[in-house]
Amino acid sequence: MASSSATTIASPSSSGSGITERRGIPGAQFVEDVQTYLNQLGLDVTSALAVLQERLQQYKLVEMKLLAQQRDLQAKIPDIEKCLDVVATLQAKKGTGEALVADFEVAEGIYSRASIEDSDSVCLWLGANVMLEYSCEEATALLQKNLDNAKASLEVLVADLQFLRDQVTITQVTIARVFNWDVHQRRMRLSPAVKDS
Amino acid sequence: MQQGGGSETEVTWEDQQNINKFGRLNNRFHELEVEIKVAKESNENLEDASNELILTDEDVVRFQIGEVFAHVSKDEVEARIEQMKEVTTKNLEKLEEEKDSVVAQMAELKKILYGKFNDSINLEED
Repeated sequence: MASSSATTIASPSSSGSGITERRGIPGAQFVEDVQTYLNQLGLDVTSALAVLQERLQQYKLVEMKLLAQQRDLQAKIPDIEKCLDVVATLQAKKGTGEALVADFEVAEGIYSRASIEDSDSVCLWLGANVMLEYSCEEATALLQKNLDNAKASLEVLVADLQFLRDQVTITQVTIARVFNWDVHQRRMRLSPAVKDS
Repeated sequence: MQQGGGSETEVTWEDQQNINKFGRLNNRFHELEVEIKVAKESNENLEDASNELILTDEDVVRFQIGEVFAHVSKDEVEARIEQMKEVTTKNLEKLEEEKDSVVAQMAELKKILYGKFNDSINLEED
């Protein structure tokens, strides 16, 4: 995620506060003291708030993308499990010698009956208009591998989302603190003036 | 996050980490609520299915496996449904347990954060 802000924040003074980035997502710098932070940036309050808001928007964009990927994976996993189920059922039927009778959908709302003879192999749809024939064992192994990969990807994705949400929270808290600091500064500047007059 | 009236309470890295953790737990809580709802619905459907099964007098039932409806004997369907119910119930229990743990952790963090920040922080659902 290329940072479009002009100032490059080389974070020296912040304590050992968290990772600087994760898989392309930049980490949000934790601010120990607002005054120091503003001096470091060399910006006034309004510009600093603008920079932080922009950062927040960028994070939100990445979050949308990750959420979409998560939804896709979460839809894929039950599909693979259903396929495993079917192959397992066919394998179970193999020993008995009887055909498996099933009703399947020909078109929406229209079903037809099929009698599936004993068979040692199944065909798997691999995507990109490609379908290959596999033995039941090979098919089970392949589907299981796909399932494991999908579940592993989902885990990584969830961890990414958690990291991202943490950075969003840090940025939101920083925005609130900069804003509050500014309000506090204004109050302090006003009150001596009122006392004097 | 509520913008306070310019109070001077400093936010330490530890506070920030607590706030982050609260955020994560809150998200997980909502995800769990959805998952629990789905698991409960699934359980109800299995219950209805097994009730229907008792009422029917056919020997062969069309049981959905994947995208097709296989002709399966009534006994086998009963066994399958029982097994599916067990799996769903166990899953539901696990989810409820996790939800309780998450709620407890959130209560702890609320105490700590409200203790330090009082009115400057808002941890309630809007």
